[in-house]
Amino acid sequence: MEGRRTSNWWTFWGVLILLWALFPLLWMVSLSFKSPETFRSETPTFFPKDWTWDNFTSVFDQDLFTSALRNSFGISILATLLSVVVAMFAAYAIARLDFPGKKVMLSLALAIAMFPQAALVGPLFDMWRNLGIYDTWIGLIIPYLTFALPLSIWTMSAFFRQIPWEMEQAAQVDGATSWQAFRKVIVPLAAPGVFTTAILTFFFCWNEFLLAASLTSTNAARTVPAALTFFTGDSQFQSPVTAIMAASVVVTIPIVIIVLAFQKRIVAGLTTGAVKG
Amino acid sequence: MAQITMKNIVKKYGDGFAAVNDVSLDVADGEFMILVGPSGCGKSTLLRMIVGLEDITSGDMMIGDERVNDKAPRDRDLAMVFQNYALYPHLSVFENIAFPLRLKKGVPQEEVKKKVEEAAATLELTEHLDRKPGNLSGGQRQRVAMGRAIVRDAKAFLFDEPLSNLDAKLRGQMRTEILRMQRRMGITTVYVTHDQTEAMTLGDRVALMKRGEFQQVGTPRELYEHPDNMFVAGFIGSPPMNFVPGTLSGSTLELPFVSVPLPEDMRRAVGDIDTVLVGIRPERFDDASVVDDSRRGTGVTFDAHVDVVEWLGNEQFAYIPYETAESMTDALDELERDLDSERLRSQLVVALDPGSDIRDGSSATIWFDPAAMHIFDPATGANLTGAASSRAGADAATVSSAEPAPTS
Repeated sequence: MEGRRTSNWWTFWGVLILLWALFPLLWMVSLSFKSPETFRSETPTFFPKDWTWDNFTSVFDQDLFTSALRNSFGISILATLLSVVVAMFAAYAIARLDFPGKKVMLSLALAIAMFPQAALVGPLFDMWRNLGIYDTWIGLIIPYLTFALPLSIWTMSAFFRQIPWEMEQAAQVDGATSWQAFRKVIVPLAAPGVFTTAILTFFFCWNEFLLAASLTSTNAARTVPAALTFFTGDSQFQSPVTAIMAASVVVTIPIVIIVLAFQKRIVAGLTTGAVKG
Repeated sequence: MAQITMKNIVKKYGDGFAAVNDVSLDVADGEFMILVGPSGCGKSTLLRMIVGLEDITSGDMMIGDERVNDKAPRDRDLAMVFQNYALYPHLSVFENIAFPLRLKKGVPQEEVKKKVEEAAATLELTEHLDRKPGNLSGGQRQRVAMGRAIVRDAKAFLFDEPLSNLDAKLRGQMRTEILRMQRRMGITTVYVTHDQTEAMTLGDRVALMKRGEFQQVGTPRELYEHPDNMFVAGFIGSPPMNFVPGTLSGSTLELPFVSVPLPEDMRRAVGDIDTVLVGIRPERFDDASVVDDSRRGTGVTFDAHVDVVEWLGNEQFAYIPYETAESMTDALDELERDLDSERLRSQLVVALDPGSDIRDGSSATIWFDPAAMHIFDPATGANLTGAASSRAGADAATVSSAEPAPTS
């Protein structure tokens, strides 16, 4: 009886939290299908009276959005790749080697993660202008790496630590060099960890707004979150809200796809059976 | 194929703790050598120094004629089976076994396939080659780990407690399998275990370690019949040897439950120590009623109250409590700590003939032969009578014949 009641409670709270989280999302989707003229009607409805794709076609017609989408993909993917590769080596070193300054390095990494980004916007803006990388992809990728790396290193070193050291020693006895042992044994085993970190980093880069808005000025490097603020209606009398919502729906889709596609990969414990069981 | 020679090997950790302290050992080509001892005695560290996973603080590690101290594990050409098998979970059984071959340059695909299939056939893994290690049973995983070792014609095999993760039945089975494989391939093998049964059954020779030092190196029979000291005597044999305090008066040895006339050669060997510890193996006792008359005369008998009897079918063990003199408790306490064992004191374990009808709580007459006693110096733990090292010539010669002539 008791157990039953607790599990009901869990369901109740679960549903409540789900609604709480999903409501803005639903509202966004609903708005994106309303026509710009009618979304502020006298008798508002949650779901649109007439479903329309106009908002989507109109955002894809605008160069502002398509180039932002291209920038978003390019910058996020590049930053993620770089960050994962660098973090992988760093995390491996931290997990396996004992070297002076290891603690200091880890604490510094954490300190960077805690540093308020807003404080960096001004200096970066000046510096980037002088270096000539203002409003370029690289100008965004560098600060993204800085902020993504600490988290990546921390998560990945946790994953590396879980891999039994015997694996690697066995590989070395079997005739592998350290690099071969790393590439053929450790990396495949750490794959779930690498994926998890890659996805988290991608989300961070994909959603980042502050730097994207401050360090870009044209379509050359402006990413979607920043571009959203520049949306206007078809005329000055038309509200851009539905178009922004349509764009938001579009940028949410890749994230949803990634999560669904890699969910199993992230959760799967690949190391089962490695050692005694 | 190669012999492994260790000369004055020392492993000191940063805090000055010596895990292995000045150890020298020759493992002859094709020999099955066991390193055994209680946990923390340094046996695994020594093995890992042979394979190169642990740095050697000082001393020479020779494989064949080569000094390998500074060589990486992959250049030493040794195969090792780890305690937890260390299989690669992302690779199939085939690829696990093929892994060492794939790392060697220029092994053609057909040869890899042929060798892996041969190894799989000897280990009865053929039907599992496509499976992942995660889907195998413990025994099968163990065999995959062995397959990975035998596939590559290494100079020697190293085993690090390979059976300790298996259940008792499988352990016995795999033990025989390892022995058969080693005999067939005739490959030098160093095998680490904490289990004295494995040590006794597998080894050509056994090196028993305590606190980073060898206590005795010899054949299982030597260790069993002529232990050098109390530690060896207590470690080898199951159930363990009984240690009983004894006092000497003239040529009579007073034990808590009986007085034993001491044979002349033993009396001389003991010298002028008057309190000793006497070790008698449980299997050297018997129920006086089942001992035939011809043997009976050579031994002594005593009456005892039997506390508990354990009947196992092929033998039975009787437990006989007795009072210990306080003077001996220190030596016995220390031995208990060294052996990680339960209380050695205050009860005698006696192995009886399974036909004996002694029952719990009854009185019985127990027989034993004084010649089967080992007499130890309680201060040093040394075996005063019949230690392998104290016996002249014969044994020492057979041991050293397996070793190469010392280089001067």
